Amino acid sequence: MEIIKIKYIKDTIIKQSEEIERCFKCSACSIFCPVTLNVSKYNIENAFISQLFGEEELLALKDVWMCSACEKCILVCPQDAEPAEVFNNLKRLSYQKGQAPVGVYAVTKQILNTGLAYDISAKINADRKKIELKELSTNESVSKELKIIAEKTGLKMEGE
Amino acid sequence: MGKYLFFKGCTIPARLPNIEKLALEILPEIGIEIQEEENFSCCPDPVQLQGANQYFWLTCAARNLALAEEKGMNILTLCNGCLNTLSIANDKLKKSVELKAAINNVLKEIGKEYKGTVEVKHIMQVIKDDVGYDNLKGKIKKPLNGLRVASHPGCHLLMPDEIIKYDDPTDPEEYDKFVVALGAIAEDYVTKIDCCGVALNLVGDKSANNKCIATKLLDIKNNTSANIISTGCPFCFNQFDMGQIQAAREYTELKDAKIPVLYAIELLGLAMGKSLDEIGYQSHRIKPQIKVWEVA
Repeated sequence: MEIIKIKYIKDTIIKQSEEIERCFKCSACSIFCPVTLNVSKYNIENAFISQLFGEEELLALKDVWMCSACEKCILVCPQDAEPAEVFNNLKRLSYQKGQAPVGVYAVTKQILNTGLAYDISAKINADRKKIELKELSTNESVSKELKIIAEKTGLKMEGE
Repeated sequence: MGKYLFFKGCTIPARLPNIEKLALEILPEIGIEIQEEENFSCCPDPVQLQGANQYFWLTCAARNLALAEEKGMNILTLCNGCLNTLSIANDKLKKSVELKAAINNVLKEIGKEYKGTVEVKHIMQVIKDDVGYDNLKGKIKKPLNGLRVASHPGCHLLMPDEIIKYDDPTDPEEYDKFVVALGAIAEDYVTKIDCCGVALNLVGDKSANNKCIATKLLDIKNNTSANIISTGCPFCFNQFDMGQIQAAREYTELKDAKIPVLYAIELLGLAMGKSLDEIGYQSHRIKPQIKVWEVA
């Protein structure tokens, strides 16, 4: 049963990013990916894209968040397979399964509560005041609207 | 040149307020009029929120675009992330009737509608397209003669190039034309187009992040004569400023002679005659005194 579920997830991702089926594993994305170049355990082609075709389980759903969405892979891919789109879908799967880094859930919550991606601290407002800028504050009406959008678009706050 | 609605984003008001302040002061001096808007939210960010839930991400972006449409004004941002999110969302929604209908179905619940009538521009695009480098040159009060600048335009200003249309992402030169218009010298280096590695910082992988930063800094140090780095992206800025201190703990080659980073707006501010104090240089993590731009 578990395998059926995993296959279903993999099929969904391939369906969401049909272009990836054009991938012939030439490694151009790995050669140009600035993260692959700097992180030994991360390899855009082997760790993520090949898994979609070859492995039983999608591993490393946490590491997928190292992708900066810089789109170098889209730029160099000779097959127009759009790896970055696959990464968005892998991130989404990771987020839904509760496997995203805690910071991602925290920033989502922060945005819904204040409209901004950062905590509005006394230090920030002191810095702003010093240079005669208006202090930041939670915009209640914005927060209310974002919460409605979150509900209607099915944004989960924590992993399942 | 019309008036722009100023999209401040989150990182600039919450982490680099001096850049917000400076933009409000000097943009009118080069003919760019901006109006503040209280009801924008986070763009939301293209690295984390686009991944978490693309539907939510697009709808929030459309809400921000709809606010600008109500005012009948195009958006100006100082942030690569905001530019990227808002431009991609605008493009997707303009191209797909079905997607637009689905997003508007949600926006209806908060009394908003996305129509597709505004454009989104980064300050570097406005300088390139509206002001023009020649015109900018005429407004400079204190040319940055002798200053050598290694520019880092940042991925999200360069890609997706067919939507953003700022520069060639494989061999960018527009940012350098801006540097030259200010009287400075533009240095070239191979890792100019590489991601600053901000996502590595977000996931908390310190050693990978340090390596990513050090690779670029060593390229700049070893292969150029740059006195400073300049970028128009708050994430690249933080990576090179704060991140440089962290990277230097692991990469001893970086310990001596740290390279200061100036935001595009700060570089412009100096050329408009502001002092280092006036551009907010004291708030930087790396702030060696470099006399070259202080020549009267």
